[in-house]
Amino acid sequence: MRRGMRITAAVLASAMLTLGAAGCGGKKTTSDSGGAGGEAKKTLKVGLAYDIGGRGDQSFNDAAARGLDRVKSELNIQTKELSAKPDEPDSDKEARLKLLASGGFNPVVGVGFAYTAPITKVAKDFPNTKFLVVDADQCKVSGANVEGACFSEEQGSFLVGAAAALKSKTGTIGFIGGVNVPLIHKFWAGYEAGAKAAKPDIKVLPAKYLTQPPNFNGFKDPALGSDAAKGQLDAGADVIYHAAGGAGIGVIKTVGAAQKLAIGVDSDQYNQPAVANVKDFILTSMVKRVDVAVFDFVKAVADNTFTAGTKKYDLSNDGVGYATSGGKVDDIKAKLDQYKQEISSGQLKVPTS
Amino acid sequence: MSTTALAEPVPLRAAPGPGGFRLSRVLLFAAALLALLSLVRVITGADDITSSGTVGAALRLAVPIGLAALGGLWAERSGVVNIGLEGMMILGTWTGAWAGYQWGPWAGVVVGIIGGALGGLLHAAATVTFGVDHIVSGVAINILGLGLTQFLAGLLFDTGEAKALGGGPRQSPPVDAIKTVSLPVLSGGDIFGWRSPDALGWLERRHWLLVSDLAGLLRGLTAGISLLTLVAVALVPITFFVLWRTRFGLRVRSCGESPYAAESLGVSVYRMKYAAVVISGACAGLAGAFLVTVASPLYQDGQTGGRGYIGLAAMIFGNWRPGGLAGGAMLFGYADAMNLRSGGESVHALLLFVAVLLAIIAVWQWQRGRRSAGAIAFVAAALLLIWYWQSDTVPGELVSFTPHLTTLLVLSLASQRLRMPAADGLIYRRGEER
Repeated sequence: MRRGMRITAAVLASAMLTLGAAGCGGKKTTSDSGGAGGEAKKTLKVGLAYDIGGRGDQSFNDAAARGLDRVKSELNIQTKELSAKPDEPDSDKEARLKLLASGGFNPVVGVGFAYTAPITKVAKDFPNTKFLVVDADQCKVSGANVEGACFSEEQGSFLVGAAAALKSKTGTIGFIGGVNVPLIHKFWAGYEAGAKAAKPDIKVLPAKYLTQPPNFNGFKDPALGSDAAKGQLDAGADVIYHAAGGAGIGVIKTVGAAQKLAIGVDSDQYNQPAVANVKDFILTSMVKRVDVAVFDFVKAVADNTFTAGTKKYDLSNDGVGYATSGGKVDDIKAKLDQYKQEISSGQLKVPTS
Repeated sequence: MSTTALAEPVPLRAAPGPGGFRLSRVLLFAAALLALLSLVRVITGADDITSSGTVGAALRLAVPIGLAALGGLWAERSGVVNIGLEGMMILGTWTGAWAGYQWGPWAGVVVGIIGGALGGLLHAAATVTFGVDHIVSGVAINILGLGLTQFLAGLLFDTGEAKALGGGPRQSPPVDAIKTVSLPVLSGGDIFGWRSPDALGWLERRHWLLVSDLAGLLRGLTAGISLLTLVAVALVPITFFVLWRTRFGLRVRSCGESPYAAESLGVSVYRMKYAAVVISGACAGLAGAFLVTVASPLYQDGQTGGRGYIGLAAMIFGNWRPGGLAGGAMLFGYADAMNLRSGGESVHALLLFVAVLLAIIAVWQWQRGRRSAGAIAFVAAALLLIWYWQSDTVPGELVSFTPHLTTLLVLSLASQRLRMPAADGLIYRRGEER
């Protein structure tokens, strides 16, 4: 065991060295209990492993961080946060999880679908530690101590698709996805279905994916988002929805500069300072409550109500939804909420691909 | 080494002989290509392949690649292989954004150039003064550039004012864009606030054979062009002039062809190499600054996306010449623009274009007596034609690697005619010639 630890530490240390002085913004241990770790009081030690980008990516990982911060303010916990490196193999993720689990951190959270397989594997070695995968791949997890949080992005996308169709003046709307992967296909499928449902004669331009895997620049390079958005504007679109992470900033800025409407993703982008000068052109955002998933999980472990298996976050429990900041969708809110009602009750089925 | 130099004196000033390209020939060639492209557009109805939007996007996407290629040209003409362009570009994006959000985009450009040049200085110190293997040093700079900027971003963009403006450990606060201009009358530019007519745009929308394509091409190059793009484009002829028409340029190139001969004539080879590699880093830094002030509105971790390496490919494609590398960069930019804007259907139309092109090459090779080459080109053309007729669109996976496929094709067709500087990548030690 100790030897295993040492090897892991060595692997991690050398990985840090490879990245130069960076250390990838990675390690951060904070203690809110104030006292030493050996305190007998019931202190929860929460380990969080981020996907590429880590805390501060103003998107997906930050949503998880928000959840953690909320737990911190309500419970007496100690946390340790580690970030993934770009293009790392699964073994690095396993090493990271092992480091957290063997360091006494329980529960441990893996943020991002890439952690699905590593957590399934590592969870077997630490039967007393509880694990959470945010965005579990194919919505499947196994093990008595593993929870998988799955989001029905297609349902949220359906609503913003309907909003796009109702708000379009040219009758043409567009979609820009970061990378051509199944996760992003869900966004597209819901968006298209929502637009067609709200306005059957709407023209939805073919989905544009910025890059193809294994090239994941489509989530990072705003220049790609910007030119793809110009292309769709030239093709007549006046509302464009992006599911492209950091590259989406390019989409929003370009669409805003052309005085057309953009739809944000993951968090309420209307409130992001990076796009503050074009926020009047952000129609709404498809919100994905990763923070709620993280909070629920840690809370459940603290209260001893943890249950293994997957947990759905969809419209019915407000795990996904649309943002209303800016008041641009106030006039169609009734219509959107009606769709929301129909989807929640199962009356309306949204395709996922 | 010295024997080959003796046996085959290297021409320091490439004469426009049979191997070179004369301007008239290049223009004729370009006109023929445009005519073919226009024909394909009319047949297939894929209007986006010559639209002003595509051309403008191609130019925007080509500039960072072209600037990186220019950086590669400067370094390699002095005999130093610069694989660290990517890292220098990353330094340029970070420093450019750091200065840009505080003091405006042009300050960002200047500081971005300095940031890249510092990377170049480091590369020069390692390779020239300490004789480190060029590849090893370059790779180290790529890693250092990435790590250092991530570290600095966490340190400076995640606190205080920068954070309030939208910065974070992975991105900078937004940087204002550099002003864009359009040509008046022809492309709808403003003259003292008066919105002039957009003649080329009108022509383009008629979709006439040849006329509209030419209009689209010209409008793409004259409408909504960032001032920094103009600077970048101007750097191509400036580089040519400095390297091939000035004393300094001759000395730099002599260091890349035969440093010991240059040394014997009293050229300070170390100083020349230092100068060239620092300029190389400055070009890469400018490419990075372009990314944060024109192409994207901010610095984002990992946004360069390998453009430095693609720049090197464009330089090789261009046979270590400024005009050639600009063409290579445009080719990459055009393929990227195709991929980002219209995708499958337009690339499908280009299949027909390439098929016809290959057929012409087949006939030409056959007539020159190169039967096997002609036959291969003919078969390839036939296969592409069949593909064209059997499908409606090209899958996205293929579209995204069209630029790389094109380079591979062109390089394999033209590789016999490529000639790199004779002492490129060799470690030079003063006074050590045997």
